[in-house]
Amino acid sequence: MSAAADPLAEPGGRAVHPALRWATVDLAAYRANLRHLQELVAPAELMAVVKADAYGHGATTLVAAALEAGVRWFGTLDLANAHELRAAGVGDGVALFAWQFGPRETFERAISERIDLGISSLRQLEAVASAVEAVSRALAPDAAAAAPVPALVHLNVDTGLHRDGALADEWDALVTRAVRLREAGILRLRGVYSHLAEASDEEDTGSAELLASCIERAARLGATFERRHLTASSAGMERPELRLDMVRMGSNTYGIPVTDGVSAADRGLLPVMTLSASVARVKRIAAGTGVSYDYTFRAPRDTTVALVPVGYADGVSRRAQHGVTIALHGKRYPIVGRVAMDQFLIDVGDDPVAVGDEVTLFGTGSRGELTVGEWADLIETIGEEVTCGIGARVKRVYV
Amino acid sequence: MTQEAVIRVDTEALRHNVRVLRQAVGRVKLMAVVKANAYGHGSVECAKAFEEAGVDWLGVVDLDEAIALREAGVRLPVLSWLHAPGETFERAVEFGITPAVSDLAQLEAVAAAGAPAVHLCLDTGLSRNGAVESEWEALFDRATELAADGLVIEGVMSHLSNTSPQEDGRQMAEFVKAVGMLIERGITPPLQHLAASAGALVYDGARISMVRFGLAAYGLSPFPDRTSADLGLRPALTLSAPVIGIKRVKAGEGTSYGFTWRATHDTTIALVGLGYADGIERHAGNRARVLVGGRLCPVVGRIAMNSLTVDLGAAVGARPSTTTVSAFEVGESAPGGFAATVALGDPVVLFGDAAAGHPSVDDWAAATGTINYEVVTRLSPRIPRSYR
Repeated sequence: MSAAADPLAEPGGRAVHPALRWATVDLAAYRANLRHLQELVAPAELMAVVKADAYGHGATTLVAAALEAGVRWFGTLDLANAHELRAAGVGDGVALFAWQFGPRETFERAISERIDLGISSLRQLEAVASAVEAVSRALAPDAAAAAPVPALVHLNVDTGLHRDGALADEWDALVTRAVRLREAGILRLRGVYSHLAEASDEEDTGSAELLASCIERAARLGATFERRHLTASSAGMERPELRLDMVRMGSNTYGIPVTDGVSAADRGLLPVMTLSASVARVKRIAAGTGVSYDYTFRAPRDTTVALVPVGYADGVSRRAQHGVTIALHGKRYPIVGRVAMDQFLIDVGDDPVAVGDEVTLFGTGSRGELTVGEWADLIETIGEEVTCGIGARVKRVYV
Repeated sequence: MTQEAVIRVDTEALRHNVRVLRQAVGRVKLMAVVKANAYGHGSVECAKAFEEAGVDWLGVVDLDEAIALREAGVRLPVLSWLHAPGETFERAVEFGITPAVSDLAQLEAVAAAGAPAVHLCLDTGLSRNGAVESEWEALFDRATELAADGLVIEGVMSHLSNTSPQEDGRQMAEFVKAVGMLIERGITPPLQHLAASAGALVYDGARISMVRFGLAAYGLSPFPDRTSADLGLRPALTLSAPVIGIKRVKAGEGTSYGFTWRATHDTTIALVGLGYADGIERHAGNRARVLVGGRLCPVVGRIAMNSLTVDLGAAVGARPSTTTVSAFEVGESAPGGFAATVALGDPVVLFGDAAAGHPSVDDWAAATGTINYEVVTRLSPRIPRSYR
């Protein structure tokens, strides 16, 4: 067996099944990124965003690693992700921030589990308030005036992105109600925040100014917030003056570059995920031979093709058939022919290759492979879409 | 993704499709291909529906997928055809999975593991998996010896490239030649299978003793110029999610990252909690359309990791099932009042069955420059599936 299967050896050296494909997740690199980013944004605090199963890396394991690096705030997107982390043992000394809710969301469990809630509307605020009452009643059914268990609320301003968040003309009503609920002990104003569109520096500046004016208006309405947060990976890196009290970073923490023309390495960040596979077949083909569906590639000369058992079901976009290269023995070879559901071929020319040889699709570059940012550029998307799309058949191996 | 996003899979459509396909191909055995989480539909539930529909075999790529079916109680014969280097096949024997082997080393390993039966996988021109012609003699000779010791050479298989009738015909001729070589050695595999959805529907001569249906079994068309309805098939999968936000946007304002879309006039947008992390291709932003309140509305702005936005002000009337997409492009703008009828929680159908007025998987494939296979296969396993 080649070295390809070694990463899958289980603790204790028990024999495991050889692998067709796997994603190595470098926890040391992740922790190093987090420490670097924490220092960079200090005195602002860093929230590590671990939504979408930590961008495909595996949320439970990454949160454990981030806790070792001293991170105490995590962004989970929704309540289900937050509850999963609590169930996995992430205690309520660690803040889990969720902000996307269904229209019929109920918040009782979120209150009980001390989840931080990003609230965009009066409707959501009322649902949270009802949940606090329900939870408090359940905890102290006999007490006539038991102290409620306050919800941890961050009010969300839409400063131009037009996704979630209260519009400026809804803001005063939302704040006024939140202040009343805080006075009643129903909630804590843990934060106020927005999210940038990153269309241009000018517009982002405008968004920041709008957030500032909303905070001022809130102050006049009696609201003081424990922290303000606005920026994510891109502006959090490029616009230090907008960091406020906390910066929410996802992409940077995984070593995925977010600024055009700037690599993760340029920013002192290490790629965390490496996607690998074992060569499953090797074939010598004659000039003129077509490969894969529709024979979109015909060998211009006698050559050797190697079958890589990773396809679009595993997250290698069909777009990768145009220009993406794969590293084998430290050298890059082009994908030839269509990327199929479960496999594609690379053209290795006259170079030696054997079944079981390890190929690297993307990673750190140390084996000659593309980084995820370079891979994403070639298929005209962003690195986050690439890692989020790595499928369930690809086993995650943590090192 | 909000918890209320859901993939509905109509198992009656799966059974219907099997009936239609059985009718189309006549008296040959049917394999339903449930690899890649049943093309995103959910492998275990679909395998069970196909089992009920009376298919003869299930096909998957690798042994992990096959074992997952067995562990979920699926009893049909299961064929698996792409194996890791060094695979010993003991787990294939343990779980009663039939391996297809592509070379001598795999054949030896299967025999050593004590497997009762095997399929021989041949490359007749696709240049992917399978033994190439120069390897056939040695492979078949060894198979003959092992057969004498009791290994059943149950099947022989290959896969077409769908390049052209000429190229596919050349592959069929190669396949016939290989089967002839086996017969010369006294081996007549009862399951000779070459054709998948496209080949099985087009070429009588490719059906032989078994056909493998993947895409068509889910009700999607393998042909760029024929719809599901043209083939009498019913798309089984519908992806929907509720409206989780509604917002007025003024002329000149944008939505989502980079403001790749800006409102040309005051309008209303709806937020939907599905994004590229759920498998909705980012390229669909400003290209695809969704069904809301009986109207088709464009997805505007970039698709984000966990959400997308829809312009309710650009709604056009629901598409009659017979109208083509191109004819629909000329639909007039909706009256301004439509957006006001959309409420939080209203279902948004991203794609489903065109016969029910939904945008089709093919519409999305066209919008993003890919094929229907990829649109469904990339759907995240984290989206809840519901079966009826």
